[in-house]
Amino acid sequence: MPTRLPGTDVVIVGLGAAGGVAALPLAESGLSVVGLEAGSRLTRKDFAPDEIRNNVRAWPFTVQKAQREIPTVRPNRLTPSTQGTIHPMMNGVGGTSLHYWAQSWRLNPWDFKVVSEIRRRYGVSKIPEGSTVEDWPFGYEELEPYYDRVEREIGVSGQAGNVNGTIDRRGNPFEGARSDAYPMEPLRWTGFIEQMADAAQNLGWDPFPGPAAVNTRTYQNRSSCMYHGFCNRGGCHVDAKNSTAVTTIPRAEATGNLQVVSHAHVTTIDVDRNGRVTGVTYLQGGEEFFQPTKFVLLASYTYENVRLLLRSTSRSYPIGLSNNHAQVGRHYFSHHQGASVSALFPFDLNSWYGLPAQGVAVDNWADDNFDHADLDFVGGGNLWVYSDRRPIGAAGMNTFGLVPNWGSAWKAFIAENSDRSNTSYIQKTTLPYESNYLDLDPVVKDPFGHPVIRITAEYKENELAVAEFMQEKMEQWYREAGATEIVRGGLGRTMGVSTHAYGGTRMGDNAETNVVNRFGVSHEVPNLGIAGASVMGTSGARNPTLTAQALSWRTAQHIVDQWSTLAD
Amino acid sequence: MPLVKLSFDKSVSVMRCKHPLQFSILTALLATVLMSSHLGAQSALYSIVVESPTMASGETMSREYTPDGRNLSPPLTWANLPEGTREIAVICADFGAGNPPPWVHWIIYGIPATAPGLPEGLPIQPGQVMPDDIAGAIQGHNGWRRPYYRGPAPPLGTPHLYHFTVYALDEELGLGPRLTREDLLEAMAGHIIGRGELVPVYERFGSPE
Amino acid sequence: MAGDRTKSKEQTAGMTRRELLRSAGVSVAVGASTLGVVTSYAKTAQQSGNSAGSEEAYEQLTTEEGQLLEVIADHLIPSDDSGPGALDAKAVRYIDRALGGVLSDSLEAYRAGLAAFQRYCRSSRGGDFMELPHNDRISALIDVETGAATGAGAGFVGSSAAFFSMVRGHVLQGMFGDPYYGGNENFVGWDLIGYPGVRTAVTENDQRRLEAGELRPYRRSAYGWEEFEKATVSAARKGLRHAD
Repeated sequence: MPTRLPGTDVVIVGLGAAGGVAALPLAESGLSVVGLEAGSRLTRKDFAPDEIRNNVRAWPFTVQKAQREIPTVRPNRLTPSTQGTIHPMMNGVGGTSLHYWAQSWRLNPWDFKVVSEIRRRYGVSKIPEGSTVEDWPFGYEELEPYYDRVEREIGVSGQAGNVNGTIDRRGNPFEGARSDAYPMEPLRWTGFIEQMADAAQNLGWDPFPGPAAVNTRTYQNRSSCMYHGFCNRGGCHVDAKNSTAVTTIPRAEATGNLQVVSHAHVTTIDVDRNGRVTGVTYLQGGEEFFQPTKFVLLASYTYENVRLLLRSTSRSYPIGLSNNHAQVGRHYFSHHQGASVSALFPFDLNSWYGLPAQGVAVDNWADDNFDHADLDFVGGGNLWVYSDRRPIGAAGMNTFGLVPNWGSAWKAFIAENSDRSNTSYIQKTTLPYESNYLDLDPVVKDPFGHPVIRITAEYKENELAVAEFMQEKMEQWYREAGATEIVRGGLGRTMGVSTHAYGGTRMGDNAETNVVNRFGVSHEVPNLGIAGASVMGTSGARNPTLTAQALSWRTAQHIVDQWSTLAD
Repeated sequence: MPLVKLSFDKSVSVMRCKHPLQFSILTALLATVLMSSHLGAQSALYSIVVESPTMASGETMSREYTPDGRNLSPPLTWANLPEGTREIAVICADFGAGNPPPWVHWIIYGIPATAPGLPEGLPIQPGQVMPDDIAGAIQGHNGWRRPYYRGPAPPLGTPHLYHFTVYALDEELGLGPRLTREDLLEAMAGHIIGRGELVPVYERFGSPE
Repeated sequence: MAGDRTKSKEQTAGMTRRELLRSAGVSVAVGASTLGVVTSYAKTAQQSGNSAGSEEAYEQLTTEEGQLLEVIADHLIPSDDSGPGALDAKAVRYIDRALGGVLSDSLEAYRAGLAAFQRYCRSSRGGDFMELPHNDRISALIDVETGAATGAGAGFVGSSAAFFSMVRGHVLQGMFGDPYYGGNENFVGWDLIGYPGVRTAVTENDQRRLEAGELRPYRRSAYGWEEFEKATVSAARKGLRHAD
């Protein structure tokens, strides 16, 4: 019999990037909030600049709860599934935002209206076959104030390209209009990044510095970035990387209305006979607790959001909480961010220091920024070149087929070329499809005997065509900057376990094809909200995090505004 | 009329004929014998005679040319090159492996037309030079993307055939390093004036662990 | 093979293991014009400090296993004209320590793999790895690397390629990782590839000097800064004073 705890107004399940943001407006409004986090609290002293620990042994995630419930993966129904070996997300107060790359992008207006825009410009037949993509229930303009608010609350640095309709060519000319500049200037550029920017300009493209949730000056009494080179899968030793652990969560705690409970492993969300949520059950230190609440905000990341819903069956929801229309797990996809391009230059790039968020972007080939009339795909990608290198990774560099992978010739090669290669990051439009979905694995279970998530998903023709097109563009860019050797990664097939996982609890006006409404509240369960990329219906050509955070703030705001109706 | 040399290295025997008629009969007989050492049907283009002092078509090759032994590149000889041969290339491929087939074990090109064949045990490390007879020859990228010979390693219990194909080219193509079989075939297109092959067999036995 | 001056089987028979290890560490320098030409180390064999010659015993591997792993590591990253190699960096010390902690799950794979590797050398090339001429050693390693070293006599658990990949990966970590973990001795690995060292702050000026080739290497372990929690994990549990 679980120990029954005193009730609270709101329970947030998961204090990562999304849940960690929602905590602030909720706590500031005076509501009592309990934040249940499966991981622990870490601080800057846990973040030594140690490549073996961070990157080789992936310690940020290896001791986490998530590692014991890694999803199984298969490209489609016809293939047996296999379990991944690592889960890339982290459990912790702040979640994966503790060590993520901290790129902090807004989606572009097109991403909110993919269906109607394709219809308008190319005709309905250009929407890829089998895709279940829908327009978002609102446009970019609706979300803009929340982007703006979150950028200021957590601290995002960048260069605006469009402020109230005025284009600034130092920024991204394709971005949606902002109401204000970024709170901080963008991260500095290295000589190599400038070289790449010049090359892009020579090609007639519009390069610009990328936005990052990283301080470029003292901000809210936290240090500016040290560019020390261990940001990639590492936590920040000076709190300049603006995870929710050092921004919104401590400020929410300071109101006195947020209680953070760590090492809390939520197993079910409980409902009463009327189909209203009554609380959540969780395990902590081997004991079971029941936390009664008036409202649950589920923010445990895409896979766990879906898993908890599917596991929380009841008489009111026989096949999963909020799943009476069988939409939980559907419209799932993970970002096509592979199929990279690497280049070898005949000179040092001086990339030993820096961070993945420090770089130059090109959006000329993203979304619908170019004419697709003669192309057999829709969407595009963001080209990103950044400064990031550590010794073991450098020693293990691609040899571009020039020397073997060991021995004297190899050693001489890396002694000369260790600082001469660069690998780009290309995030591409990815759409949801009927045949890509999440469900519970029929066989594989976690240590508690609960089934893990099964991912049934693969990149379709449209995504592969986009990937190949983007590789062409990236190669062109590298060669313009003087690269002498180029290697392309494979185009990919199966969507594996990803840090950019979308859908599964999609947001939309239509209750038959979406799990939550335009405010992130369940269509079926009046006092259940969902936050995170699981509510997003399209990916755009950039990271989901800032968008998930803006949506999360908006959902929290809605909960506050509508409290009297929602909580009764 | 050209002399017919059977092989190079220690077992060289050179046939000479004093009388043209004797020579013609002899070469006709010889050609028949030599042609029958090829596997399968003979096309007019397969006129080059490819042999080895230590391998024969249809027969199991020594384990020394495989990872079950020292994995040395085997010696090859060729004869009856067409007139006008300027350069030679060799590809060793297994058409029963690879996705898609064939799996390439060895590719070597830029071999001077004067070379009588390839000696055993060509270099496997960068910086090692080719023997004088084949100075200028380049080993391209095989299926493992490596510029040297790697011999048969078929799955246990199934024999595979290994086609050592010799190409005679009408021009020195001046090719660079690291070419794959696809690259080489494309570069040679229109320049192949003769071809020949030697097709030994290999099978691995024993228990997998 | 013409020009191969490495020792024949008869010549190695009478040598001690230690001598064998040092001579087996000889490798071909880049640009050598004939097969198997012996060139000198950057330092003498005495100074190159492989563990078999030092006083340190292995913690997890047996002496025989450790020495074989040293020789393999020496072939993966040799000490030669381009600089120090895996032995100088004490890469195997890193592996041995890690096998007692974070990598303890791999100890069996090392035991079985090293034994299988020797069996493979014997069955395919006629002798233990250290007894083979240089070119055959390279050839044997290539076959293990590609996964061709299977079949009767070898008996790798799984593909030999997986064993090779594991060893190569760990040797790289032992050569280029933070010295806190036991490798990258005297920062020889970082110096080889020109890594200017771990810093907790890199100013715009530092970056400018780096780009001008004027930034001097800062040789310090991440744990040279007292403020960071150390990653001792399992080593501390076993009463050992080093990281794993």
